[in-house]
Amino acid sequence: MKNEHVTPPGCGEFDTYEIRLQGQLDAGWTDWFDGFRLTEGNDGTTALTGRVVDQAALHGLLRRVGDLGATLISVNVLTRADR
Amino acid sequence: MSESSLPVLATKLFIPSPRPNAVSRRRLLERVWEGLRAGHRATLLSAPAGFGKTTLASQWIADARDGSPGAQVAWLSLDASDNDPSRFLTYLVAALHRADPSVAADAHALPLSSIEDTMAALINDVAAAQHPMILVLDDVHLIEDSTIREGLAFLIDHSPPNLHLAIMSRSDPLLPLAKLRARGELTELRAADLRFTPAEAAAFLNEVMHLELSPAHVAALEARTEGWIAGLQLAALSMRDRSDVGGFIQGFTGSHRFVIDYLAEEVLQRQPDHVRGFLFDTAILGRLSAPLCDAVTGRTDSGEMLAALERDNLFVVPLDDRREWYRYHHLFADVLTARVLADGPERVPDLHRRASGWFEQNRLPEDAVAHALAAGDFGRAARVIESTVPGVRKSRQDATLLGWLAVLPGDIIARRPVLGVYRAWSLLVSGEVDAVEPLLADAERALGATTDDGTPVHDSATGEELRILPVTIALYRAAVAQARGDVADTQTQARRALDLTGPDDHFGRGAAAGFLGLASWAVGDLGAAVDAFGEVASSLRRSGNLADMLGTTIVMADLLIQQGRLRDAQRACEDALRLAADQGEPVPQSTADLHVAVSELLRERSDLPAAREQLLVSQALGERASLPENRYRWFAAMSRIDEAEGRLEDAVDALGAAEQLYRPGFFPEVRPLAALKARIWIRQGRLGDAQGWADSQGLATTDAPTYLREFDNLTLARLSIAQYASDPRPGSLDAAVGLLDRLLSAADAGGRAGRVNEILVLQAMAHAAAGHTALALRPLARVLAQAEPEGYLRLFLDEGAPMAALLRTAAAEGIAPAYTRRLGQAFVQEDVPRASARPLADALSERELHVLRLLATELSGPEIARELYVSVNTLRTHTRHIFGKLEVTSRADAIRRAEGLGLV
Repeated sequence: MKNEHVTPPGCGEFDTYEIRLQGQLDAGWTDWFDGFRLTEGNDGTTALTGRVVDQAALHGLLRRVGDLGATLISVNVLTRADR
Repeated sequence: MSESSLPVLATKLFIPSPRPNAVSRRRLLERVWEGLRAGHRATLLSAPAGFGKTTLASQWIADARDGSPGAQVAWLSLDASDNDPSRFLTYLVAALHRADPSVAADAHALPLSSIEDTMAALINDVAAAQHPMILVLDDVHLIEDSTIREGLAFLIDHSPPNLHLAIMSRSDPLLPLAKLRARGELTELRAADLRFTPAEAAAFLNEVMHLELSPAHVAALEARTEGWIAGLQLAALSMRDRSDVGGFIQGFTGSHRFVIDYLAEEVLQRQPDHVRGFLFDTAILGRLSAPLCDAVTGRTDSGEMLAALERDNLFVVPLDDRREWYRYHHLFADVLTARVLADGPERVPDLHRRASGWFEQNRLPEDAVAHALAAGDFGRAARVIESTVPGVRKSRQDATLLGWLAVLPGDIIARRPVLGVYRAWSLLVSGEVDAVEPLLADAERALGATTDDGTPVHDSATGEELRILPVTIALYRAAVAQARGDVADTQTQARRALDLTGPDDHFGRGAAAGFLGLASWAVGDLGAAVDAFGEVASSLRRSGNLADMLGTTIVMADLLIQQGRLRDAQRACEDALRLAADQGEPVPQSTADLHVAVSELLRERSDLPAAREQLLVSQALGERASLPENRYRWFAAMSRIDEAEGRLEDAVDALGAAEQLYRPGFFPEVRPLAALKARIWIRQGRLGDAQGWADSQGLATTDAPTYLREFDNLTLARLSIAQYASDPRPGSLDAAVGLLDRLLSAADAGGRAGRVNEILVLQAMAHAAAGHTALALRPLARVLAQAEPEGYLRLFLDEGAPMAALLRTAAAEGIAPAYTRRLGQAFVQEDVPRASARPLADALSERELHVLRLLATELSGPEIARELYVSVNTLRTHTRHIFGKLEVTSRADAIRRAEGLGLV
C-alpha cells in the first residue's frame, strides 16, 4: 500500500514540502499520509513534512487532507531538489 | 472462449433509501425544490466527506417520488476506475436506461465510440421522453479524465429542459458550472449550508441517538465539530451507553486533536475485540458482502456482523435493497485503513490476496485484479487479467485492461504470451506499428520454450486463446506488413496463418484469407482477390459473424465492379441486404454501406433517382449502420450522381466531404478521391487545376502502368484528351494513346474487365478527338460488345456529345444495333431539363423552416445539429423531410429552391 511516489525526508532528490493543518493528529497516521512525518505544533496545529515526486503526488496528498475534513492552513516548499 | 467481460455492477446504480430516522433537512430540501421550480438546470452539493451529501440527495429523491410517483431518477455512484471513458459511458447509459427504458432503448447501439455522439444521443432521447428526469452523479471529484470531463461539459451545455443534474463532489468539479451560476441556473449547497445547525445537532443527538444531552452539551459538541455531521455521529457513538457523558464532552472539547482522530479512537476502543478485528480486516474492501468478508476474515458470521454494524450506525452504507452489498462510509474507511497501516501493515497483502481470490472465484475480475495488484502479487494479477482478454476485447473496455498492463512488470508479461500478444494488438490498433513485432517475437519465444522434459515454461492458461495464439501472431504480423504496404510479407504471413489454422477455426481462416485477398488486390490480381474474399465470406458465415460478412460484401462489390461483373456485384449486395433484413433490429453494421454500393450500381445504369433514393436510405439508417472506414463512400457516390446530373460544383463539394471522412490504410486506394476531383475539373474545363493535380501526383504519360496508379493514369489520359480538344497541337495526343495501350495490356492481363471498358472508351475518344473515326470504332466495337450484357450506360453517357456522335456512326455501321439504339435514347433523355419551379405540395413545419435557414448558412451539419441541440441523426431526419417536401436531393438545391420560393 505504501506509495513510492512520496518518500520521507532525507532519502530522495525531490522537493520537500510542509503542509500545516488545524488540529492535532497523532503519529499513527504517518503511513496513511504516505510516509510524511507528523509534528504537533504548540499552537494546536500539525505539520506534515515530506518529499513529493511531483505536483500530482502533492495534489493527491492534499486531497487526502481534504477527505479527512481537516482545515488546511499552509503549504510551503522547504527545500527544492537540484535538477 | 471464456466469457469474462467486465460486468455492469448494479450497486453503482443503486439509489440509496433515506435512513428511516434521519434528521429532517427540510431547510435544504426547500432550497433544492425552489431551484427546480425556478428552472435551475443543476444542483451542486460540494463539501468534504461527512457532510451528508448522499443522505440529502437520497431524501430529495424520496421527496421527488412522493410528490410525483412517475418521477424518473438515474443515479450513478462514480469510482476511480470510471476514468476509462468507455466504462464511464457504459454506466451512464445503463443508469439513464434504468430510469427510463425509452432512453438508449437500443441497448446494443450505445455507447458510441465518441463521447460527444453518445451524449448527443442520450440528450436527444431524454428530450424526447419529455417528463422530468433527475440524473444524480455522486463522487464526481473522482473523475480526472479530461475526455469524460469534456463529455460532462457537453451534457451540461446541452442538457434538455426536462433534465436536472445533481452533482455531488468533495471538491468543486472542473465543469463549466460558472456559466450556469452566472445565468442563475445553479442551486449550490456547500459545507456551510450542509453542516448541522444547532437545532439539527440537538435533533440528531437527542431524538435520533436518544442521548438526552443538555442544551449546553449540544452547543459544546456543535461548536467543537463545527456542525460536521460525521464528527457528531462519531461523538454520539462514543457517548452511547457511557455513564460519564459530561466527562467525555469535556475531554473532547478540551482537546486540540483532530475531530476524526480523537473520536474514531473513542469509537473503536469501545467496540468488542471481535468487532474491532472485523473492522480492521475488512477496511481494505471497497465494498463488503457476507461471503466476501467470510473469505477475507476467515469468519463465518460476517452476515450477522454487517447487519449489526448497520443497526448500530457504525458507518456501513447499504448498496442495494437486499442488504447483500455494503460499503464503509469513506471517512470511516480512511480511519480504519490508517489504523491498519499503523498497527499491522504486514497483514495487509494477505488480506488483499484473499479478497482477490474471492472476487476471482465470483467472476468479478476487476476487483480481483485491483486486490492482487494491491497485494503486490503480480503473478496472480496477470493470471486474472489474461482471463479477461477475450471479453474485454469484445466490450472495448481497453483503457481498463491497458491500465493494468502498464503496471505489470515486463518479465511477468513476457511469461504470459497471451497477454503479450494482446498488448501487441493494442499497439497495432493505436498505430504504433513498430512496437508490435518485439512483443510478438517475445510471445513466440515463450510459446516455444520448454523444460528438458518438454513441459512449456510460460504461464499462460491453456484454452482457446492460447491454442490459436500462433495463428493470432501470424495474423498480426500480416497486419503489420499490410500497414507498411509490404505485399509480399503480407502474403507470407497470411499463408502461414492459414497453414496453422484448423478446419474449424473459421475466424482465423477468414482473417488470413482477408489478408491474402488484400494483398492480391493491391497488386491488381483481382481473380485471386475475389477467390480469397469468397473464402472470407464463407468462413464468416460459418462462424456466425454477420456484420463482418456484410463488410466483406462491400469489398467484394468493389472487386466485381472492377472486373466488369455489374450483375454479380448487384446480386452480392442484394443477397447481403436480404441477410441484414432477416437479422432485423438492431440494423447490422455495414448495412448503410451496402446501400451506397447499390447506389453506385444504379448510377452506372443511369437510374439516377433510384441511386439517390439508395443514398437517402443509407443516410436514414445512420452512422451506426456504417463502418467508419466506409463513411467517405456515401459522399463519393453522391458526388458521382451530382456529376452525372451536371451539378459539378455540388460534386466537388461532396468530394470535399468525402476527403474529410476518408481513412487511409484499410483498403488499397484504387479510386483516389483527388483523381475523382480532377475528373470533375476536366469536365468543368479547369484544365490548369487538373494539370496541377497531375503534377502534384508526379504523373506522366510515359509512366509504366501499375495497378495502384491505374485510376490516376486513366484520369491523366482524360486530361490529355481534353487538352488536345481545346488546343489541338499535332502529336500531342500520341503519348496518351501510348499510355492507354499499355494500360489496356495490363488491365487485360489482370482480368479487370471493368477497367478495360473505360480504357477502350478513352481510346475511342482519343481517336475521335484526333479525327480518326475509323480508328475510334475498333475499341468502341469491343467495349460495346463487352458492356452490353452487363447493362452499362453511364460509361458512355458521361463522355457527352462526342461519344453520342461516335455511337451514331457505330449504329450506322451496324455495330451493336440494339445497344446503340438504347444508348441513343438515353442521350436524348440527358438533355431534358431536370429542375422546374413548382409550388410546394406540403408546407414546411416551423422546425423545418428553422433547419432550412441554418442550411442556408455556412454551418456544417454537425454545427447545425449542435445549434439545434439535436444529434446529427435527428438533423438528417429533418433534412430528409425538408428535401422530400422541396422535391430536391441536395443541400445546394434545397437552398436554391427555398430562395426561389422566398422561404429564406
